[in-house]
Amino acid sequence: MDNRPKKAQSKVTNSMRMRALFITCCFLGFVALIVGNMVNIQIINYEDYKAKASSIQLRDTKISPKRGTIYDANMKVLAQSATVWTVFVSPAESDDDQHYRIAEKLEEILGADKERTLTKLQNHNSYYEVIEYKIDKPEADAIRKWCDEEEILGVNLVEDFKRYYPYGSFAATILGFCGTDNQGLAGLESYYDEELTGVQGRVISAKNGWGLDMGYEYEELNAAQDGYSLVTTIDETVQHFLEKHLSQKVEEYNVQCRGVGIVMNVKTGAILAMSNKPDFDPNDPFTIYDPDVAAAIELITEDEEYNAAVSQARQTQWRNKAVSDLYEPGSVFKIITASAALDSGAATVNSGFYCKGHVSVGGWNIGCNNRAGHGPLTFTQALIESCNPSFIDMGQRMGIETFVDYFESFGMSEKTGIDLPGEQKSITYNADTMTETSLASNSFGQTFKVTPVQMITAVATAVNGGNLVTPHLVSKLVDEDGNTVKDLTPEIKRQVISEEVSRQICNMLLENGTTGNAQHSKVPGYRVGGKSGTSQKLDTAMDDDYIASYVGVAPCDDPEIAVLIFFDEPRTTSYYGGILAGPVVGALMGEILPYLGIEPVYTEAEKANVNVYVPNVTGSSVTDATSQLQRAGFTVKTLGSGATVTSQFPTNSHKIKKGGIVVLHTDAESQKITVTVPDLSGYSPTAAENTLNGLGLNISMSGVSATNKNAVIYSQSIAAGEKVQLGTTIGVTVSDTGVFE
Amino acid sequence: MEKEKGANKKFNIRSFFRFADKGTSIDMPLFIITMTLLVFGLIMLYSASYVVGIYRKGDSMHYIKNQLVFAAVGFVVMLIVSKIDYRIFKRYSWLVLCITYILLVIVLFMPEIKGVKRWIIIPGVLSFQPSEIAKFAVILLFADLIQKKGDKMKTLQHGVIPFGTILASVALLMLLEPHLSGTVIICAIGVIMMFVGGTDIKWFIIGITVLLVAVVGAVIMFPDLVPYAQTRIVAWRNPEADLTGSGYQSYQSLLAIGSGGLFGLGLGNSRQKHLHLPEPQNDFIFSVICEELGFFGGMMVIGLFFALLVRGIYVASRAKDKFGAMLVVGIVSQISVQAFLNIAVATNTIPNTGISLPFFSEGGTSLLMLLGEMGIALSVSRYANLEKGE
Repeated sequence: MDNRPKKAQSKVTNSMRMRALFITCCFLGFVALIVGNMVNIQIINYEDYKAKASSIQLRDTKISPKRGTIYDANMKVLAQSATVWTVFVSPAESDDDQHYRIAEKLEEILGADKERTLTKLQNHNSYYEVIEYKIDKPEADAIRKWCDEEEILGVNLVEDFKRYYPYGSFAATILGFCGTDNQGLAGLESYYDEELTGVQGRVISAKNGWGLDMGYEYEELNAAQDGYSLVTTIDETVQHFLEKHLSQKVEEYNVQCRGVGIVMNVKTGAILAMSNKPDFDPNDPFTIYDPDVAAAIELITEDEEYNAAVSQARQTQWRNKAVSDLYEPGSVFKIITASAALDSGAATVNSGFYCKGHVSVGGWNIGCNNRAGHGPLTFTQALIESCNPSFIDMGQRMGIETFVDYFESFGMSEKTGIDLPGEQKSITYNADTMTETSLASNSFGQTFKVTPVQMITAVATAVNGGNLVTPHLVSKLVDEDGNTVKDLTPEIKRQVISEEVSRQICNMLLENGTTGNAQHSKVPGYRVGGKSGTSQKLDTAMDDDYIASYVGVAPCDDPEIAVLIFFDEPRTTSYYGGILAGPVVGALMGEILPYLGIEPVYTEAEKANVNVYVPNVTGSSVTDATSQLQRAGFTVKTLGSGATVTSQFPTNSHKIKKGGIVVLHTDAESQKITVTVPDLSGYSPTAAENTLNGLGLNISMSGVSATNKNAVIYSQSIAAGEKVQLGTTIGVTVSDTGVFE
Repeated sequence: MEKEKGANKKFNIRSFFRFADKGTSIDMPLFIITMTLLVFGLIMLYSASYVVGIYRKGDSMHYIKNQLVFAAVGFVVMLIVSKIDYRIFKRYSWLVLCITYILLVIVLFMPEIKGVKRWIIIPGVLSFQPSEIAKFAVILLFADLIQKKGDKMKTLQHGVIPFGTILASVALLMLLEPHLSGTVIICAIGVIMMFVGGTDIKWFIIGITVLLVAVVGAVIMFPDLVPYAQTRIVAWRNPEADLTGSGYQSYQSLLAIGSGGLFGLGLGNSRQKHLHLPEPQNDFIFSVICEELGFFGGMMVIGLFFALLVRGIYVASRAKDKFGAMLVVGIVSQISVQAFLNIAVATNTIPNTGISLPFFSEGGTSLLMLLGEMGIALSVSRYANLEKGE
C-alpha cells in the first residue's frame, strides 16, 4: 500500500544524521572559541582582573596611627595629636542628581567652595577627591548626619589626626611642627618622626555596586600601631624662665639675627631648655611672625620674588640656631684652652704670664683688650682678664699637636650627635692645616666656628669632672600606657681632662663670677661661675656686627647646670657678652637654681642684702605695725590720717631687701599717691639706692657686685617716667664699665 | 501500528512511573543531564539572586521561591509529557503557530518595560514572553513540515519558501517588540532545522551570499553606519574604555569571571553580584558561576550543555521518525544556541545582547517551557527505545 513508502520516507536518513553531526561540530567550534576566551580571562589574565575587581569591590581605608605625644621631663604635654576628619567625595559612587545638593551642603557646613566641589564631582571614575582636610568633630558629625538622613552616597569621612601644641609659641624650635600628613617637618617632630608616627593600619572592607560598605562581608583589619611618645629632658618651667628672659632681652637689645639660650645638665648632657627668639607658633608654623619681615614681604609684587621671600622668612624663623648656626665662640672658648693647658701639663695654676698689650705671632700683631698690657698675671688672672697674649702663650706651650688633640677631644671637630635635625658640622683646623698663627687665634677662640650647642657641651665637659657628654633632648620612648619602650639617655663619650683640672677650672670660673669680670651673672646665695664672649662677625658686611655670648655654670662646688646665652647682632649701646648676656644668665640662674631645689648658701655680706618677706600688718594700729616692721629691720613710711593700717605695700607676698621701705596706708585717699620712676642709668649702685629710697621706692640689684669700684647701673626693670605706687621695687642691673673680654 | 496501539493500551498508573523499564525507558543520559542542569541551575540561581533579592525586593528568597515553584511544576510536566506519544503534537502544529501569531500581535499592545514590549502580563496571574512560545511553535511546525515534505525538501518550493515565510513572519513580529536576540535565536533554530531536515545546501550558500551582498549594500547605501559600527566594535573589544555604556556590563562580567580564577571564590562568595554585575540572576548568571566556582565551574556548565546537545543529537538520530528527530534537533539546538550565546556574551566573545541562560537564569515560564520541551525530547527517546525493544 502507499502506507509503506510513506513510512520509509518518514525514517531518519543518514544524510540527516550527517548534517546533525555537522551542526554539532559547528557548536563545538563556537564552544572552543568561548573556552579559549575563558582560559584567557580566568587563567592567563587572572591577576590583572583580580586586581581590577578588588579596586572596585573593596574599599581600602588607611587608618592613621595616632602620633605619639611629646612630654617634658615631668610628663607635661608639649605636643599632642587630636582626632580630626578628612572629607572626600567619591564621584564614582555618587548619584549625579545629588551633586548639586552635596556641593551646597558642604559649602554650608565647611565653607568649601561650591563650584570647586562640583568640579571635583565631575571626575566620574574617581573614588577619592578631597574636599577638606582636618575638620573638627562638630562639622564631621553634621556631614555624617546629613548623609544618613538624606541617603546621600559618595560623601565620605576618614579619621585623621591634627597636631596641637598646648603652650603655643613655646619651645617651638625644639619641638618643630608637622605637615598636613602629620609628618614631622622640623625639630623633634622631624628627628623622631619614625618613632612618633607609628605604623599605618588599613581596613579592607567590601563594598557593593552602590559603593556602600558591607561590613558583614569579608572585612580585613590590620590595626594601626600608634606612635611612641617622647619623654624629653625639657623642663617646662625652666623653658618658661628661659623664654621669658630671652624674649625680653632680644627686644630690648634690638637683636637683629635672633637670640639663643641653652640650659644644660652638665653631668648628663640633658638639655633642660633651649630657645631661639623670636620664633613661631608650631600650631601655625607657616605664618611669618616677625612683623617687620611680614610687612616687607607684603610689599613685594613679583610672585616669584614673593614666594622666595616667604620661604626665606619661614626658614629663618624655623631655624634652630643652637645647632644649625656656626659662630666664632671668642673668649668663652678660653675655658677650653685653659683646661687643655692645665691637663696637658703645659701650664699649672701657679704658672705666670706676662702681657705687654700685644704679641706678634708669625708676622701678625695681635692686640689684647687692654692695650696698655695687663703686665704679670697668674693663671686665674689671665682667665679673669681674658688676656689674649696669655692664652696665645698657653697655646704655644702646648704646641699644635697637643692643642688639636684636646680641641678634638672636647668634641669641637665633630657633631655632638644631639637628637635634633640639621646639626651643622663645625669648621676647624686639624693638626695638618693648623699654623702658628691659627694656633694663636684658636687659643683665644677665633678663626674657627662651632655651634652654640657644641660650645656649651665643651664647657659642660670642662666643669663636670672632665667627661664629654652627648647633648640630648629625649630621655626615653614610652608607649601609650606609659611603659618605657626604649631608654635613649646617651653614654658619656670619653674623659677629656682629669677631675682635678676640672675642679681648678670651676674654681677659676667661680672667682671670675664672684669677684672677677663676670659678676653680671652673680646670684646671691649661689656659687655661679661664668665667662663672657664677644666675637666680631668677620664674614658679614658690617664691621660692627657682633655676637654677644655668655656661659654660666652653677653651683661651682659641684656644677649641675650650664647656661649659654647668645645674641646675634645686638643693636644697643653695648655689644659685650658680659654686659648683654651676663645678666640674663644671672637672672635665669636665680630662678632655675631654687626651682631645681638647690639651697642657697649666703655669705655674710649677702645675708645683709638678702630679700625677706614683709610681715602682714594690715589691720593693726599704726603704732603696733611700725614697731613690728622696724623690729624686722624695715623702714616704715606711713601715709594718711587714720590710726589703723588699711593696706600695706609691699604686701606679705613680697620679698624685699632688709632695711627696705614698707608703706602703710591708713585711708583710701593715700593709696592714690604715686611717684615717677627716675632714670638711673650711669648711677653708681649706692647713688641709685639712695635716690630710690628717697622717693619711697625699693631697689633690687643684680649683676656686678655693688662694691665693685667701676659698677654702674646698666638697665632698670621699670622705665624712667612711669608712675608707680610708693613702695614698689625697681630692679636694676649693675654693670662694670671696666669689663673687657 | 498495531503494536504501538498495544503499547498505549498497556498504559496504567503504575507503569507510568516506571521510566527505566527495559523497552519502555526514556533515554537516561539525556534525563540525567537535564536533571543535573535543573538542580545545578537552581543552586546557582539562589546564590546569584539572593543579593539582588535583598536589594530590590527586600527578600533574599524572592527569585528562588518563584523559580522553585516553576521547577517543580515543570518537572511534573516533563515527566507527564515524556509519557505522552509525541506524535499527537503533530496535529496541533499549525494551531500553535496561529496562537503564536496572535500572542505576538497582542504583545505589541502591552505596556513597555524598559523600552520594549516583550511581556504579556496578566497581573497576579501570569506573565510570559510570547517569543518563548514562538520558538516552540517554529520547532513543532518545522518538524512536522520536514516529515511531510520528505524528499521534496531539496526544492525551493517545498524546502525553502514555506519555512522562510514562516520564519520571516515570526521574526518580523518579534523585531517590532523589538527583540533582536530572540529573533536571532529563532532564526538560528529555524535554519539549523532546515539544514538537518534536508533543505539543499545550495540554498544556504545562496542565502549566505544574499546576506553578504545585503551587508555590503547597506555599507554602500549608508556609509554613516561604518563609524557607528566601528565604535561599537571598539567598545566590544575593549569594554574597559567605555564604562558608562554597555561596556560597563561586559566589563563587570569580565571582572567577575577573571577574578574567579581556576577554582573560584567558593559557592556563595561572589563579590560582583553585590550590585556590580547587572542582572546577576539573569543574563550574567554565568559570570557569577565563574566567579564562585572558577574556570572549572564554568567548564562544567559548558560541558553539561554540550553533553545535552550531543546526547540530543544521538537521540534524534535514533528517533523513530523524522518528526521526532527534528523535534529533538530543534529543542536541543534552541537550548544550545541560547546557552552558548549567553556564555559568549558573558565572556565578551560576542557583543553584549540580552540572552538568558537556560535552566540557570531566573524566569519561571521559560523554565516551564524548557522542561516541557525536554519532556517531548524524552518522549521521542522513549518511543525510539520502544520500537527497538519490540
